[in-house]
Amino acid sequence: MEQYIQPFIDSCSNVFKEFLGLELSPDRPYFTEKDTYAEWDISAVIGLTGEARGAVVISMKKSLARKITGILTGETHEEMDDIVVDAIGEIVNIIAGNAKKGLEESFRIVISLPTIILGANHSINWPTEKARIIAIPFGVFENDFFNLSVAIESVKGG
Amino acid sequence: MKRILVVDDSRIMRTIVKNTFLGLNIPCEFLEAGNGVEALRLIAENSVDLILLDWNMPELSGIDFLKRVRTLDSYKDLPIIMVTSEAAKYNVIEALKNGATDYIIKPVNEKIFAEKISKFNF
Repeated sequence: MEQYIQPFIDSCSNVFKEFLGLELSPDRPYFTEKDTYAEWDISAVIGLTGEARGAVVISMKKSLARKITGILTGETHEEMDDIVVDAIGEIVNIIAGNAKKGLEESFRIVISLPTIILGANHSINWPTEKARIIAIPFGVFENDFFNLSVAIESVKGG
Repeated sequence: MKRILVVDDSRIMRTIVKNTFLGLNIPCEFLEAGNGVEALRLIAENSVDLILLDWNMPELSGIDFLKRVRTLDSYKDLPIIMVTSEAAKYNVIEALKNGATDYIIKPVNEKIFAEKISKFNF
């Protein structure tokens, strides 16, 4: 599934650059397990269906989520309010939608609406059986980080 | 004054789309809907000159809204531009086949809007 990951890395980097004016530093991707508890405060999940099954998840600390939202609104966000949730959900939606272009030769994918998970030490209910989860760490600003995690498996031909 | 309906389930994205459009200095006013059902109600109650339409929304998606609206004679010539993250060619083709006037892939910017809007008599 590694060949399916690059479109998500490219899409994430492009979306942060074009949408937020931020340059990302992608780090080395690594495999992670379904039951790993994240050290993040917010995750936004997009389910993938159609000719592939899986999910793409962006996870970050609340301080970064508020900072990113501030770029979009021009305001300061002290709390994890509806606007922050909306912003992070829209960002993962654009990442997933843009990544479909890089995957269109492999399969046709339908993306879900984003689901948001809030709270420390939350876990993700991954909708895949066989596909391993690849986490891609990205550095942004001086000392902030977030993860984009992807699990995807083809279901073409039954 | 042109009236533009912005249909997107993300409030922040509706604001970004409106602000990007306002950067073109075209005198216009906006109506907003968070899904296709709200959009159907708004176009029934108001005259609009252009719809900027997201794809993935709850209740009624953009593509289903488009299909429904294009079956109605009174809206067959109404300009409807998809503004969506759906970047695959098969999505663009599906939207155009179902009557989208044009297609903009998010993230949006003024240059793309200006190029698309220049085709209309705004």
